[in-house]
Amino acid sequence: MNILKQLKSWEGILLAALIVIIVVNSILTPQFLTLSNQINLFSLSIEKIIVALIMTFIIINAEIDLSVGSMMGLSACVFGWMFLNGVPVWLACLLAIGVGGLGGALNGYFISKLGLPSLVVTLATLIGFRGLARVFVEDRGITDFPEWFDNLGQQGFIGSIPFAMIFFVILFIFLYVILQKSGFGRKTYIIGTNRDVADFTGIDTGRHKLLLFIGSGMIAACAGLLYAARLGAVRGDAALGFELDIITIVLLGGVSIFGGTGNLIGTLLAILIVLNLRNGMALMNITGHIQTGVIGILLIISVIAPNINISKFFGKRQKTS
Amino acid sequence: MKSLKLLGLASALLMSSVSFGAADTITLESGKDINMVLLPKFLGILVFDQANDGAQEAHKELKNPGELLFVGPTPENSVAGQIEIMTTSATQGQGAVMLSNNAGDQIVPSAKAAQAAGTKIVTWDSPIPSGEGEDVFVAQVDFGSIGTVMADMAHSLLDGSGQMAVLSATPDASNQNAWIAAMKEALKGDKYAKIELVDVVYGNDQAEVSYNRALALVDKYPDLGVIMSPTTVGIQAAAKAMQDEGLCDQVKVSGLGLPAEMLSYTLNGCAPEFTLWDFRDLGYLTYYTAYGVASGQLKGEIGETFTAGRMGDYTIEEDPGRPGSKRILMGPFTIYNKDNVEAAAK
Repeated sequence: MNILKQLKSWEGILLAALIVIIVVNSILTPQFLTLSNQINLFSLSIEKIIVALIMTFIIINAEIDLSVGSMMGLSACVFGWMFLNGVPVWLACLLAIGVGGLGGALNGYFISKLGLPSLVVTLATLIGFRGLARVFVEDRGITDFPEWFDNLGQQGFIGSIPFAMIFFVILFIFLYVILQKSGFGRKTYIIGTNRDVADFTGIDTGRHKLLLFIGSGMIAACAGLLYAARLGAVRGDAALGFELDIITIVLLGGVSIFGGTGNLIGTLLAILIVLNLRNGMALMNITGHIQTGVIGILLIISVIAPNINISKFFGKRQKTS
Repeated sequence: MKSLKLLGLASALLMSSVSFGAADTITLESGKDINMVLLPKFLGILVFDQANDGAQEAHKELKNPGELLFVGPTPENSVAGQIEIMTTSATQGQGAVMLSNNAGDQIVPSAKAAQAAGTKIVTWDSPIPSGEGEDVFVAQVDFGSIGTVMADMAHSLLDGSGQMAVLSATPDASNQNAWIAAMKEALKGDKYAKIELVDVVYGNDQAEVSYNRALALVDKYPDLGVIMSPTTVGIQAAAKAMQDEGLCDQVKVSGLGLPAEMLSYTLNGCAPEFTLWDFRDLGYLTYYTAYGVASGQLKGEIGETFTAGRMGDYTIEEDPGRPGSKRILMGPFTIYNKDNVEAAAK
């Protein structure tokens, strides 16, 4: 492995940025490196980073799923509604994940069988799923879930590490193996690079996309349930707007919006950068609009930078000067 | 002789215990070093800035060498943002967080974790509904009586009979929810038998959403006579909506408003009557309470009385609206109309 080549890659830049952020945070805020802060740092955004993992697949496949935030809300609301109507909590969880699979299949059907652009389809379901979520719980909050369910989101599962973090780690390893080591993963890249070529080589691209969107829906539904457990409450606007944060992370991770390139290591580094940056700013009492602004600038850089050929950019400038 | 000594000792003990029992008013010692966070529902709302002014005034008065931070989330991220700031405050080891809760009971896990880390949680403006994770609530007004006041304002604007609707803040705002519940309770009285509460809608304390919700109410209920908005954002947006559509003769707006923001609507008859308390005072009293609790000078127990600077003496009592929880009642409030709104708006 050529270290120099690695460092020049996007992942290398991300790693360097991450180290800078962590060093600066550690110097400026004494509490940053404490174990409890490191766990909080993940817990506060755990649902988003879980969905970012499957979003990496979707974008590499040259698609997008804007409906994940609404699906998180819908799954939480379906769960809350069933809980109110006396369905046992474990069954309500399973059914909510089932709703996630169905919603994902709906997206996948329109995209793979009818050939509609995923941007349009998932924009429609972003609105549709959210509307449905609000139908289930209306303008109210559902609380008072059983203690074990709330504890799952709020207490340590192994030691002080919460369940959602363990779920994230296992999901990461599982998806990493699939994307980087399996035929399914290779097909994801090939279809993302050029769907027509993939079709000619005999890959069932429609089925592949359908499976990806079902997976996206189900994982988003799981994340919605974890969100409900962490807050101990469900509301119609749960996870509103989360899709943008999720997509931001994936793009920052070096996954091209045009498909075909990127990997889960990049996404993981981007997750760590965004979470550490947010946490550091919060500990320095930078909140609200300024924090949103800084993350926004980060996104602008991350979308533009990988698409600029730096030597070409500077080369042209040298000619004109 | 021995017995005489004992008697003397006993009487001395008795006297000292009497002097302790007679609920001494606690005067807070200034100069304690305590870092505190004032956490509003979100930033960019005038009344919360006023509360911050009051807290800063108390901060200077008590010569606290520590830091008083005014941090809050953005409106669209209020619930998650409040939870994040609460969690961060615990990590930072803040002495106290003064919270106007917009997250309902969703804030409880993070507030309890902050308490476990030694941070005192004093709520103001909007409490934690279950009272869990909260040391004491500084109530601007008695939540039950504000319900009656709103019912009375509706009664006078409707001349005793007609339809009213509520335009509230967010569905999780526990102060507004408590006031609406209190108003519904008050409306059961015989006096209000001919007043019908037709709907409760939420404008999320965002001007544009509230404006549209107010117009939607008028469309949905053609006979609507009053929009009651227990939030300064909602009442202003609703009054503007009625004014813009020329509906002020038909639908009156009332509720909780800031005189400076409501002046023109009160004078032109769109919102003839509304009520509010002083948020500057609320911030000031909240700071005194949080400072006392965080410095250990107040135990935060029912029956404790302390002096809150220029505002006088206050006592911690049980919250009648939330049994088992503690509150300090500020009061009073002022009802504004065309006679007094101009003076208050200055």
